[in-house]
Amino acid sequence: MKLLTANRLDDGRVIYWAEGGETTGVLREAARLDAVMAETALARARSRPDVFVNPYLVEAIDGVPSGRDRIKETIRATGPTVGNSLPHPASAGAR
Amino acid sequence: MYRYDEFDAALVRERVEEFRDQVARRASGALTEDQFKPLRLMNGVYLQLHAYMLRVAVPYGTMDSRQMRRLAHIARTYDKGYGHFTTRTNIQYNWPALTDLPAILEDLASVEMHAIQTSGNCIRNVTTDVFAGAADDEIEDPRPWCEILRQWSTIHPEFSFLPRKFKVAVIGGPNDRAAIRTHDVGLEIVGRDGNDTLFRVFVGGGQGRLPHIGKEIATDVRGTELLAYLTAILRAYNLLGRRDNIHKARIKILVESLGIEAFRAEVDRQFETLRDEDLRLPQAEVERIRAYFAPPAFETLDGSSGAFDRAVLADPDFARWNRNNVRRHRQPGYASAVISLKGLGEVPGDITDTQMEVVADLAERYSFDEVRAAYEQNLVLPHVKLDDLPSVWRALLAAGLATPNADLATDVIACPGLDYCSLANARSIPVAQALSKRLADLDYQERVGPVRINMSGCINACGHHHVGHIGVLGVDRKGEEYYQITVGGSPDEQAALGQIVGRSLPSEAVAPAIQRALDRYLEIREDGERFIDTVRRVGHEPFGEAIYEGLDAAV
Repeated sequence: MKLLTANRLDDGRVIYWAEGGETTGVLREAARLDAVMAETALARARSRPDVFVNPYLVEAIDGVPSGRDRIKETIRATGPTVGNSLPHPASAGAR
Repeated sequence: MYRYDEFDAALVRERVEEFRDQVARRASGALTEDQFKPLRLMNGVYLQLHAYMLRVAVPYGTMDSRQMRRLAHIARTYDKGYGHFTTRTNIQYNWPALTDLPAILEDLASVEMHAIQTSGNCIRNVTTDVFAGAADDEIEDPRPWCEILRQWSTIHPEFSFLPRKFKVAVIGGPNDRAAIRTHDVGLEIVGRDGNDTLFRVFVGGGQGRLPHIGKEIATDVRGTELLAYLTAILRAYNLLGRRDNIHKARIKILVESLGIEAFRAEVDRQFETLRDEDLRLPQAEVERIRAYFAPPAFETLDGSSGAFDRAVLADPDFARWNRNNVRRHRQPGYASAVISLKGLGEVPGDITDTQMEVVADLAERYSFDEVRAAYEQNLVLPHVKLDDLPSVWRALLAAGLATPNADLATDVIACPGLDYCSLANARSIPVAQALSKRLADLDYQERVGPVRINMSGCINACGHHHVGHIGVLGVDRKGEEYYQITVGGSPDEQAALGQIVGRSLPSEAVAPAIQRALDRYLEIREDGERFIDTVRRVGHEPFGEAIYEGLDAAV
């Protein structure tokens, strides 16, 4: 199973391909794609450069990043694990 | 401090408008990411794991209170309320939206700042000694030369598309506090000949996956010919450097492959032509730039301070901060104060908007309106009266900025690592935090004394692990984070690369392993030896043994 992810053009935030070609910033809402669906979604994301910057596919098991890049993809999904970017009352655009 | 003239102001203003148009075209879809990427990089904009990242240049690390307040405003308005200072004395914002970037650059321009040439294959922000103009071991203040180089290199038509990035650092005396031999070019002021300044020049230093210590290429380049000489170096590099392999494109690879003698011959050949052309610096122009960096209006003091002495006696916490964070000043009755951005368990180099406001207030009130960013990812108030140090310390303490650990074991240099960086293999910050917490006992840290510990989250080495007395490099082992430790590196005038002591360790093993190495040093040091002195005397082996003591290293 694969997930499709990218950064969103206007603010650079992490996004995922969701059902129906929608985008979501929430990992658990990402569409779980078989090999054929994944390639189709990737082609469609590439055709929407006004939203998807550098789209690519991520290995996942039960919707959770797996494989060699699992730590990186988990951090992309959940945000920095430490420091001043953790939820902050003054945060602008945080999700 | 240097102030923009009409040319500087116009250039920066025009660049803001140019980038505003480029961002609008990108947002509208008129530019693809591939087309936009080189344009954003020319303005310091990266796309990292979670968001765009903006790197703002702090020229040779010098800021005034107005600029620091504007940096705080940007952190508060467009980011998450903080910024991150880097080893090259820039500040990075981790969360700006693409569409906010023109407004941020406009805000920066209003205080004579910008993000030009903080990325891309060009000459980057020139760095220097954080104590320039204040240190008592300086032959000459290097900042006027940094400013001359800034003006010369900014949007230089010949050097805007080099094979790779190009970093220059300048120091004003023999003690290197700017790691010049890890730079593509390092300049050391060695003396004067009449009115002319003489420079020793190093070339081909750099870190990354193929680290090199810079080699001496010239011993006495005259200041009036400095631009001609640097042009000769860059022209040779631009013509001969590799462009087919990004990992072999830095000047260090060219110097290594040709050999320093052959590279010197090529530079000399270019220099013979260039030195008689219009790159000769008029002495009057040097003096004009120097005037911006004239010493502030110091009071004539006798070098002692009752208020300071009483505070040292009355308050052991102030006394400790004074021991560790206050540096001698060339002017009697003054000192430089290091503001540690390495609080217990905090993120190395991070500072909140509120803290920036406090630092700005202190700089304005107590340090002739000047604050510096340091190679070590700290800040410095360069010119504080001894009388005022207790007040400065109390204000820093209230703001959470009085950690008395400058140059001690918890004053860790660390890159953002995998928490932010799209290039990283492993996290740096949590490992630095674990070490900070493990070594929190300040009595222990003082017993150990000065030691430079550096962490990088990948082989690109933004945390300068190669030249840490103890270096930590994050590596990826089948999807798991592991850390390779080096011992014996040094960024100073005895620059050296650390030696790998063994196999990599899991993250939770790093802090205890480093503590065992420090404990071993305490056992075997001789009188007066710093950690690095002991390593130089006995080699890295005893420390490697300590690091792996009782540990099954990872395969």
